[in-house]
Amino acid sequence: MTMRNWIQIFALLMPGLGLILVLIGSVVYIAIAQSFGYYALLGESAFSTEFWSEVFSRKIFSRAVRYSIYIGFWSAVLSVALAYPLAIWLRKPFPGSIGLGALLKAPLLVHGLVAAFLYINVISYNGLLNQTMQGIGIWAEPRRLQNDSNAFGVLLLQVWKNMPFALLVLTGSVQGISDDVLDAARDLGAGPWARFRKIIAPLTMSGMQAAMVIIFIGALADFTFQTTVGPTNRQSMAQLMVSFKSRGDWHSAAVVGVSLMIIALLGSALLALLTRTVMRGSPR
Amino acid sequence: MFKKLFTTAAALGAFMTPLHAGDLSTMSWDEIVAQAKEEGNLTWYVWYLQDDFRRAISSFEDEYGISVKIPDGDNAGNSQKMLAEKDRETGDIDVFAWGYDSFETVELKSLFNSLDKLPKDDGRVSKLAGVDGGDHVLAFWGNQSGIAYDPAKVSEADLPQSIDDFATFWTDHPNKFGFNYEKGGSGPSFYQNVLRNVAGVDFSNGEVSDARIAAVQPGFDFFNKHAANYIITASNVDNINRVSDKELWMAPAWEDHLAGLQNRGEVRKEIKFYIPEMGMNGGGNGVAIPKNAPHPAAAMVFVNWLTSPETQTMFNRDFGTAPMNAAADDSAALVPNEQRAFRQSWGKQPFRSKVEEAFIDNVILER
Repeated sequence: MTMRNWIQIFALLMPGLGLILVLIGSVVYIAIAQSFGYYALLGESAFSTEFWSEVFSRKIFSRAVRYSIYIGFWSAVLSVALAYPLAIWLRKPFPGSIGLGALLKAPLLVHGLVAAFLYINVISYNGLLNQTMQGIGIWAEPRRLQNDSNAFGVLLLQVWKNMPFALLVLTGSVQGISDDVLDAARDLGAGPWARFRKIIAPLTMSGMQAAMVIIFIGALADFTFQTTVGPTNRQSMAQLMVSFKSRGDWHSAAVVGVSLMIIALLGSALLALLTRTVMRGSPR
Repeated sequence: MFKKLFTTAAALGAFMTPLHAGDLSTMSWDEIVAQAKEEGNLTWYVWYLQDDFRRAISSFEDEYGISVKIPDGDNAGNSQKMLAEKDRETGDIDVFAWGYDSFETVELKSLFNSLDKLPKDDGRVSKLAGVDGGDHVLAFWGNQSGIAYDPAKVSEADLPQSIDDFATFWTDHPNKFGFNYEKGGSGPSFYQNVLRNVAGVDFSNGEVSDARIAAVQPGFDFFNKHAANYIITASNVDNINRVSDKELWMAPAWEDHLAGLQNRGEVRKEIKFYIPEMGMNGGGNGVAIPKNAPHPAAAMVFVNWLTSPETQTMFNRDFGTAPMNAAADDSAALVPNEQRAFRQSWGKQPFRSKVEEAFIDNVILER
């Protein structure tokens, strides 16, 4: 190839590559540089590992890492687990299935913050749930349900928001399986669980992995749900990062940000591997 | 073609470039006002109640014919912008509002214009909460943290005043008191004053050492001992909402915040406010004019208006602030003047930040 060809190929790739390299690359570069003491807003910019050692020594950081992984993992698993039966159910059209599918995907159109505020209104001290439970005589007095320490509220909202996305991805994968394959399995005596485990799951593996990984990354970096309905005795990594930033401590915020990126990358790979191992079983 | 382009660019450039101020230090006040009117507009960076301030400044705009733009932005974002653009020849900020104690963290002389050309007014406040703004900063907003309470649940005679009173209240009425440790300073004001009273730590000394941080431990133990009987809330506004919602009986709050919410009908009017005898922090916010302000004369005239007795009286009436001009009327305040004797200053940095970190690690994360 001539130099002219190379230049032409490079120029054609630039709109896509340029976006990745310039926008994402520059952000990643600055975050990493800032975590090592560069790009200081105030004071001297110089190489230092002090911010890494200081942040890693804080109990709040290790708690935030564990908590964010907990939210990311369970959000992904529960969203996909709920979406699978629905995707299989909606695989073959039936009267009303299009409307039902659209209804199930409606949360995709509602912003998470709106859902979080609605949720607070429902579970607040004088909210709908407390009033109903007292009205039917199950609870004698209102219960404090807001900001629960197990983050069930956050998980509920994450699943509500992400399940439709998993359903969207899995519906396409499940619909791609030919009726002949499933009929053949049925003829050979495979029950519903065996058909799911040996036919549907392996053939929709890519869709499931994609859904798991994308939901995991989003939930891992959750800020909105955590700050509105999350527990007050722990922070998510994104919340911790913003908390450092709001104190003007950009270097520590960058350490948390870079850690978040690394955990998202490693966690996604592990989750994809785990999904493959669980759904396909150990290699024969 | 190029000639046209250059002409257009030059014309645009002329419109985009702010009117360069003459040297204000050689001007009389009348000349500064005349130049301010010529500049015609200014941008005020203030991080809270932006909508209310947009309404409140209309009398300034009517009086001087100078339009005021108030961009949306939070405290951290505004201060980072001010610092980030400090080396630009011409910045975007004409008047910069900040927590008074935050001004202590920067070198005033190198960042802000002198305000000594303002007409003489001995009633203005430049020393507040232990911070001296000198010629560069003036207070425009006085605030006081205290405890918001529901008088239907707690009578005035039973209000906790000391740390022992609070401990008794928590024991007698479990989970009817809550405070925040982030997103707002009312909760931090409460727990820091409890720490000060229990551990006897001097917050007015900003020095950090392991021994000084370790000395706060009895205060952390106090909170941990009573952990089951109080709750941690999400923010300043969450405190007030939960008292208004009758979930909590008492919670820390800012006087001006509560008054503003009550004036707008967003929380119950019956909620009352007091400053406990153990002390809670008070202070306020100040304004300064960055050295690279694009409209320095208009900014100066605006600061003069903002700190005048008339404006401070209006702020007291509409927002419930403590007036920052001695000649202003403070009759609309939520607390009687004698309670203001319990006002404490915010702790000095960096000690205060280290105590806040230690409080999270030793109390919040232990729950």
